[in-house]
Amino acid sequence: MTDLLSSPRPLGDGTIAHRPDWTWLPPAAAPTEADLARAATQAEQLLAGHGVTYGAEAADGDQQWRLDPLPVVVDEPEWARLEAALVQRAELLDAVLHDLYGPRRLLDDRVLPPTAVLAHPGFLRAVDGLRLPGGRELVLTATDLVRDAAGDWCVVADRTQAPSGAGYAMEDRRVTAQVLAPVYRQASIARLGPFFHALRKALREVAPLTAGDDPRAVLLSPGPASETAFDQAYLASMLGLPLVEGSDLVVRAGRLYLQGIDGLEPVDVVLRRVDGEWCDPLDLRAGSRLGVPGLVHAVRQGSVSVVNPLGTSVLENPALLGYLPRLARAVLDQDLTLASAPTWWCGEERSLRHVLARLDRLVLKPVVHGPRTTTVLGWLLSSAEREQLAARIAAEPWRWVGQELVGPSVEHAAADALAGVGTDRPGAAGVGPADLGPRAAVMRTFAVAHAGTYTVMAGGLARVADDHVVSSSAAGAHAKDVWVLTSQPTPSAPAQREGDVAGVARTAAYGISPRAAENLYWMGRYAERAEDGVRVLRAVADRWDDYHRTPGTAGGQALAVLLQTLTPAALPDGGEAVAVPSEPEHIGPRVPALRDLLLDHRTPGSVARAVRRLAAAAATVRDQLSTDTFGPLARIERTLRDERARVRGRQQRGQSPAAPVPPGSVTAGLRPTLDGVLESLLAISGIAAEGLTRDVGWHLLDAGRRLERAQRLVAVLRATLVDHRPSDVEDLVLESVLLATESAITYRRRHQSRTDVAGVLDLLVHDRTNPRSLAFALDRLLADLEQVPAPRSAAQRDHLLHGVADLVAELDTVVVGNEVSDDGRRVRLADALESMLWRLREASDEIERVHFTRPAPSRALDDLWGSTYGEPADGGAR
Amino acid sequence: MSVRAYDLVHRTTYEYAQPVTDSYGRTTLTPRDLPDQRLLATSLTIDPEPADTGRHVDWFGNTTTYFGVTRPHTRLVVTARSTLEVSRTVPPRDQLPDVGWRALARGVVAGDLGVLHTDAAGVVALREAVLPSAHVTFVDEVRDWAAPSFADEAPLADVVTDLLHRIRAELTYRSGSTTVHTTQAQLLAQGAGVCQDFAHLMIAALRLHGVPARYASGYIETRPRPGRPKLRGADASHAWVSVWLPGHGWLDADPTNDQLVDDRYVVLGWGRDYHDVPPLRGVIFTEGGGATPRVEVDLVPTGSEPFA
Repeated sequence: MTDLLSSPRPLGDGTIAHRPDWTWLPPAAAPTEADLARAATQAEQLLAGHGVTYGAEAADGDQQWRLDPLPVVVDEPEWARLEAALVQRAELLDAVLHDLYGPRRLLDDRVLPPTAVLAHPGFLRAVDGLRLPGGRELVLTATDLVRDAAGDWCVVADRTQAPSGAGYAMEDRRVTAQVLAPVYRQASIARLGPFFHALRKALREVAPLTAGDDPRAVLLSPGPASETAFDQAYLASMLGLPLVEGSDLVVRAGRLYLQGIDGLEPVDVVLRRVDGEWCDPLDLRAGSRLGVPGLVHAVRQGSVSVVNPLGTSVLENPALLGYLPRLARAVLDQDLTLASAPTWWCGEERSLRHVLARLDRLVLKPVVHGPRTTTVLGWLLSSAEREQLAARIAAEPWRWVGQELVGPSVEHAAADALAGVGTDRPGAAGVGPADLGPRAAVMRTFAVAHAGTYTVMAGGLARVADDHVVSSSAAGAHAKDVWVLTSQPTPSAPAQREGDVAGVARTAAYGISPRAAENLYWMGRYAERAEDGVRVLRAVADRWDDYHRTPGTAGGQALAVLLQTLTPAALPDGGEAVAVPSEPEHIGPRVPALRDLLLDHRTPGSVARAVRRLAAAAATVRDQLSTDTFGPLARIERTLRDERARVRGRQQRGQSPAAPVPPGSVTAGLRPTLDGVLESLLAISGIAAEGLTRDVGWHLLDAGRRLERAQRLVAVLRATLVDHRPSDVEDLVLESVLLATESAITYRRRHQSRTDVAGVLDLLVHDRTNPRSLAFALDRLLADLEQVPAPRSAAQRDHLLHGVADLVAELDTVVVGNEVSDDGRRVRLADALESMLWRLREASDEIERVHFTRPAPSRALDDLWGSTYGEPADGGAR
Repeated sequence: MSVRAYDLVHRTTYEYAQPVTDSYGRTTLTPRDLPDQRLLATSLTIDPEPADTGRHVDWFGNTTTYFGVTRPHTRLVVTARSTLEVSRTVPPRDQLPDVGWRALARGVVAGDLGVLHTDAAGVVALREAVLPSAHVTFVDEVRDWAAPSFADEAPLADVVTDLLHRIRAELTYRSGSTTVHTTQAQLLAQGAGVCQDFAHLMIAALRLHGVPARYASGYIETRPRPGRPKLRGADASHAWVSVWLPGHGWLDADPTNDQLVDDRYVVLGWGRDYHDVPPLRGVIFTEGGGATPRVEVDLVPTGSEPFA
């Protein structure tokens, strides 16, 4: 194991040891290999528990963020030098940015060749001349560093577009500090907090003057499918900013607004994680759905500040690296302290010759990425391929740079890694395994412009190829925390809120878009749907275990009723054909697929499907939720995944999937899985009940839960209670209904006598003290909705819900329970329940219409190409 | 020097089957004010009235206007009116500098102010004008097609003349034969296109040889056939090419009509290609579909009866 990033220890013989070094710790405090292995396992569990992901839409479980708990350790004097060099570099880049979108004095062959800039797609002409208040253009910058052969820091890329990773760095610190607590407590390690504090201040400093004392900021995200969605949501939560998407924002009268559920809220500052080009489909990339039409106009009006400003990715151009020393002298009148990987832009004759002569030793990077132009590792090319590449470079030399690979590389960085090689892919967030490229280890540092200088995060995000980590179970790369040793006493946390920029969230309703509102509401619904599904499955599975062998008994008949009414989707024909399941053979061949209702997300109404949608909804509103929510969610998904794997394993071992499941094993393994899932679902509802403030978001979440519960309850009652059955069968059915609705214990406490329909209805429909009753759900739903602003008239919604409440009040349980028609049905009960269900469904549609109406979709104006244009002039002009 | 005075009306109308809630647009419809094209008056009206407009001068020096209509509408009408005096004359061939295209190309690479007849800022503009752009890509098809026009020591003025002739002779003007996505290779393969295609092809041919070229957007005055009345509103938007000819400056050439640009033309603006200077582009919000624009252009001598 080699430590490629920590401060090197010179050995006596002039060489350098890159080995983890614990000599700075008190004697005997160093972690052992066993400690580290244990920490690695713990870290993995914690990251899963926090729902820390990287990458979008990967297969089961592949998205987890990987962390090697062994930190990169940088000693104090070395970090002080690096910090100063990073500040100098940020100041230089800021000055270059000022010039490129301003006087352009640097665009001169003697300083910075114009073509190197003009050809770069990040140079956005549409924002030329626009300025950010506060004197800085480059607010946030990240720097990717490696150690060169001599052990010195060397920059391989500047990340100036919308740097990702600060959130991951903070999470890595949280986890590492926890799993290496004994070491962490004994060490004096610089805190990351001051960086985030400076970032908050920085957002305030760049706010337009018109914003007043209390500027409102949002974090603009490309959405939950973004590779670094976790990082974005985490940062938004830490900074207290609403996490928004382009479709949540709108430009009106030269100003940017958030479309809240209660109307338009002005936005003063946008911290963007959307690439500049995609931020405005009118003035930048046409057709972009990630941006806001008119944003550039609003920026030009000076009514909103975008951070980093649009156009900053021009500094990510690899061609710049070779010119930075010259630029430092021209702009700062200083020598550049921090070296970059030696880079030659082929647009210059001499550089072109140099690169062509050394193609087999260089990394070739395109200035402009295209379908045929990606980064190439020269030494992996055959001589024929090299010749082809040389011809392409010679044809358009300004498109290419050659760069030396600095520091240790990954030997096996061959074919498959190449697809994503390069820390300079446009649009890539750049902290994934592919972004490591051929490098064995890269450290990303972060700096933010604040109070006239740059504040550098005292730490960073290190990424190492798996050859170099403690636990190398997976292919790719692991992250590491970066510990900067300090002799300074840890400064007490600055008063966090004082003088900060506020998120748009000022009063309860602010900062929630119709999109976020809808997702919170559906989170509530899916959580309840999953929970209800689990309870129903549990009740049915119990009856199955008790009675599937005795179909002729009352128990067997009750089981048939339950299967048919509560889990029809588990029956081979959806339960359709089962008329009166009184004969043994009616159940015998109908082995229900109860397990599919739990595990298979393709089965309609399954727990797995509800959980999957719950997770998707939660991911879009991550910033609104406690991070604790994601632990139970991850556990549910893991529980289901493990059980699926177990079932698959069993099938592979003996049975073909088509073979009938023996009735005895229908429920095998079901119970513990159900219990596990339920436990986590209860944790989620517990967090919602105890861990969230009663803001609009919470009321939406709760309203979703209540409406879902009301609908499901009425549906269950209608399915099970309408048909009159022999009393011994009915007793068992009612008991299961009470179990499935979590009301069995209450019922038994109140009624010592036998179970009857009227008593069950009293408890499940009327009883306002029973949180599982319809009356309770309606009360809560109405109270929740009262707290949610309604931009459109909610009269119809309330009319429907009050209608349900009236039906509940009017329901005489004794009468409807005992009144049985000639065909054996409780007709009045059926009518009442049917009316309730219809109203609840209509009310649900009304809630969608009143609260979640989103703006119409956008499209480009049809272009003026062709037919409207000049034919060869008729007559005289020819 | 003769001066021609024009009244110009350019109206674009979109009519939608379903309401559009918001329309955001950007226009490049204000003609450039130039030494040989004086802009005397200009106005832009948008119906329905926008909640917000903003005018600025873009990277290329064109006047461009933003608008945001934020109330529901089923019809959007953008009308630009201008009054101009145009005194542009076509320089006779013997008065054009005899600089060779190759010398110019070398001058651009070297940044040689003497050869280029420009200053430092001018070099930046010229370097930009030899790079590919959104609609102008460097492909072998164009290289091969263009090669015969670029004889080794040929003066640039002759190269330009030859390209104009060849495009007019070898390609057919056919309305609707291309879209905004048609490439130069496709254009050459099908042998037909519209003025924007011809401009892009000529620009690509020049840039591929290192000669700075840009795209011009504007109008050409049409004249009725002898004995016929002029149809109002039937003039056309037009597009052509500007080539940097050291010692002369930007030389405007119209490959659609095989001629240099004179006082029958009005320049709106220029850019790297169509993408930089469409007269109107926009984003609309609607549950319905888009609409094909109706365009009416009227370019007539000042004092003619106003175009309704």
